[in-house]
Amino acid sequence: MSNFYLFDTLSLHAGQTVDKEFGARATPIYQTTSYVFPDTDTASSIFNLERGGHAYSRITNPTVGVLEQRIAALEGGTAAVCTASGMAATFCAITAILSQGDHIVASSQMYGGNISLMKNTLPRFGITATFVDPTDIDGFRDAIQDNTRLIYGELIGNPGLDILDLEAIAAIGADNHIPFMVDATFNTPYLCRPFDFGVNITIHSVTKWMGGHGTAIGGVIVDGGNFDWGATDKYPTITEPYAPFQGINLWEEFGPTAFATRIRAEAMRDFGASMSPMNAFLLLQGIETLSLRMDKHLSNTASMLEFLINHKQVSWVSHPSMPSHSSHELAKKYLPKGAGSIVSFGVVGGREAGKAFIENVELASHLANVGDAKTLIIHPATTTHSRIDAEALVAAGITEDMIRLSVGLEDVRDLQADFEVGFRAAKKIAGL
Amino acid sequence: MGFRTKQIHAGVTPDPVTGAILTPIYQTTTYVQNSVDEYLAKGYSYSRSGNPTVAALEAKLTELEDGAACATFGTGMSAVHATMLAFLSAGDHAIISDVAYGGTYRLCTKVLSRFGIEFTFADGSNPEDVAASVKDNTKLFLTETPANPTMKCSDIAAISEIAKKAGAVHAVDNTFLTPYYQRPFELGADLSIHSTTKYMDGHNATVGGAVISNTAELGEKVRFIMNSTGSIMSPMVAWLTLQGCKTLSVRMDQQSASAMAIAEYLENHDKVEQVRYPGLKSFPQYELACKQASGFGAMLWFEVKGGLAAGKQLMDNIELWSLAENLGSVESLITHPVSMTHADVEEAERARVGIIDGLVRLSVGLEDTEDLIDALAKALDQA
Repeated sequence: MSNFYLFDTLSLHAGQTVDKEFGARATPIYQTTSYVFPDTDTASSIFNLERGGHAYSRITNPTVGVLEQRIAALEGGTAAVCTASGMAATFCAITAILSQGDHIVASSQMYGGNISLMKNTLPRFGITATFVDPTDIDGFRDAIQDNTRLIYGELIGNPGLDILDLEAIAAIGADNHIPFMVDATFNTPYLCRPFDFGVNITIHSVTKWMGGHGTAIGGVIVDGGNFDWGATDKYPTITEPYAPFQGINLWEEFGPTAFATRIRAEAMRDFGASMSPMNAFLLLQGIETLSLRMDKHLSNTASMLEFLINHKQVSWVSHPSMPSHSSHELAKKYLPKGAGSIVSFGVVGGREAGKAFIENVELASHLANVGDAKTLIIHPATTTHSRIDAEALVAAGITEDMIRLSVGLEDVRDLQADFEVGFRAAKKIAGL
Repeated sequence: MGFRTKQIHAGVTPDPVTGAILTPIYQTTTYVQNSVDEYLAKGYSYSRSGNPTVAALEAKLTELEDGAACATFGTGMSAVHATMLAFLSAGDHAIISDVAYGGTYRLCTKVLSRFGIEFTFADGSNPEDVAASVKDNTKLFLTETPANPTMKCSDIAAISEIAKKAGAVHAVDNTFLTPYYQRPFELGADLSIHSTTKYMDGHNATVGGAVISNTAELGEKVRFIMNSTGSIMSPMVAWLTLQGCKTLSVRMDQQSASAMAIAEYLENHDKVEQVRYPGLKSFPQYELACKQASGFGAMLWFEVKGGLAAGKQLMDNIELWSLAENLGSVESLITHPVSMTHADVEEAERARVGIIDGLVRLSVGLEDTEDLIDALAKALDQA
């Protein structure tokens, strides 16, 4: 398989070799726990990481493997590891390199689950975080401490939609020998490949646009293969002998895939946050149409933006494609095809009018996911970001009247008609 | 190889590429060929004609029945339909058990009758009645035993003899007892039909069907219809059924033991008019049931004193037993055939073959026997 195929070709073929036994055109679903070894020597060499091969589906599975190689190819990384959810990807990626006493510099505008992980959960294990306004580049530099081992952010912030200046932050990471990890869920490799801008690791909730149909929960960690783990002694999990595998040195043995190998050898083996083969198969089907879907998501988003901007009952609209958005220039640079299909807007009449709007639209589903083929809406202050305090809510750029819209693939005329029903209900509440 | 070993291993070999101990789910439509000249060299072209996951199930079912070939289908009804299409044409005649699943009866009387195929419904418990029904154009015998829902048993060996003499094919619907208890080929039959939905899957997860043939030649004829009419089984259904088959014998033994205990309990209950279970000495064909099968299965029926009204009240009020149409699953089910599974059989025909209005059918599952009996006891108290 050529490494030089273009995006659409890779999204159909990367990682898959036609089934050797029968020639099956689709990837077989290896719904199996274990693999029969031809002999004991082969078995022990697979266990020792001396050779590739499958032993037990918690660690590797051929169907999941196709998805991993496909995503790595689309992202331009050296290797990928799939996980049971996007949160599992974040947790496994962080804990692969950080230990007690280590520190993260992270964007303050992120998915509530990511913020909660770093603010509430990781500190229980001695890993702390400093949160920085994603538009404040100097803030990232200033927040770095002696024990900082990771810089973390979302390319398209959730839910304020600020765009992270990848090159500027990557440069800060490079200056300090700290890897830069980006949650690239909202952009997908079709809109931006963060490794092209110096990012070292990406993670995705593939539940969202990558899978695209709301059918399976999953995550992925992609190793950019572009970080020199051995340049300092800050990353002993990669560069020091790893006791469970006869003291193997992952950095020496695996080089550009050392980080991914650590996740395979530790997170998959010991934490067990593995993706199921059936989910991998469903997600592979989604990825086959990724670019087609993204193009339609973007054109529908443009139509909905025009509709909302011109609507009398909309007090404000935010999307990085709008010249009024503070990240507009960064969006043009990093997301030239389009800045994703998440839109924030406020309904005239505040919290109660927003509530009436959400409860009266029918086509747009009220739920806490994004990136489905179906249009979704939610009120972040009372749902996705409800477990963070008022101060953090402000820091995360969330207002009480904010509605987050994930534009789907429906006929946009139907969506607009549906929204008009919601606006009529909001109008009554607002007393207009 | 013993039955229990076969139910685990038959048809399944570790994947040669990865070693995966379970057959992969080949959820694919098509197969890449090496070259035009090597077309079908790896055995597969298009998943309607054949699929490796489905083939693993077909191989397993073939071995469990000790047959020569198997074709699987989207449902048990499509298995019955394909059998009829394979051996009957316009102007032909078939002899069907006079008690059979309502869907089989409907297929014969309301669908295939439109295409010039003639059916006689004969009393399979009386081989003389079957022999007397034979005509010059009789091409197929279909025997369902024990029959749904009356549990009437037909003498497979005797009917096989009659079929042989008539030069016709004898198909046995072996769904109720499975090859674990009943061996149609050893009794002279040519085909064994299954709704795999029932005991083969056993978990209420899939609908599917299978026809196992005693010779490769018969198997080819069934498979030709499968491929031509396309009522195929999906790879996912085949995979789930492969897993179900592994516990077939242990489920059958436990469910049958429970059914026996329940039948005995009901037989001694003041409020029960009658019980029919092949394992009861009171069963009219107890000797035949003992002779031609090694177990009695987990299906039975009873009539509550007070007939239809009392039966309905019991079915509407009973706990634990689900009022549902399927049978053979790990969940215990209770069914009223007259209004559910056999609603398409005319009232006069039902009366003639003994499907009485008050008949309550039980499919005994894997729950604790005590819990199942307790639930029946409570419901009978209220009846």
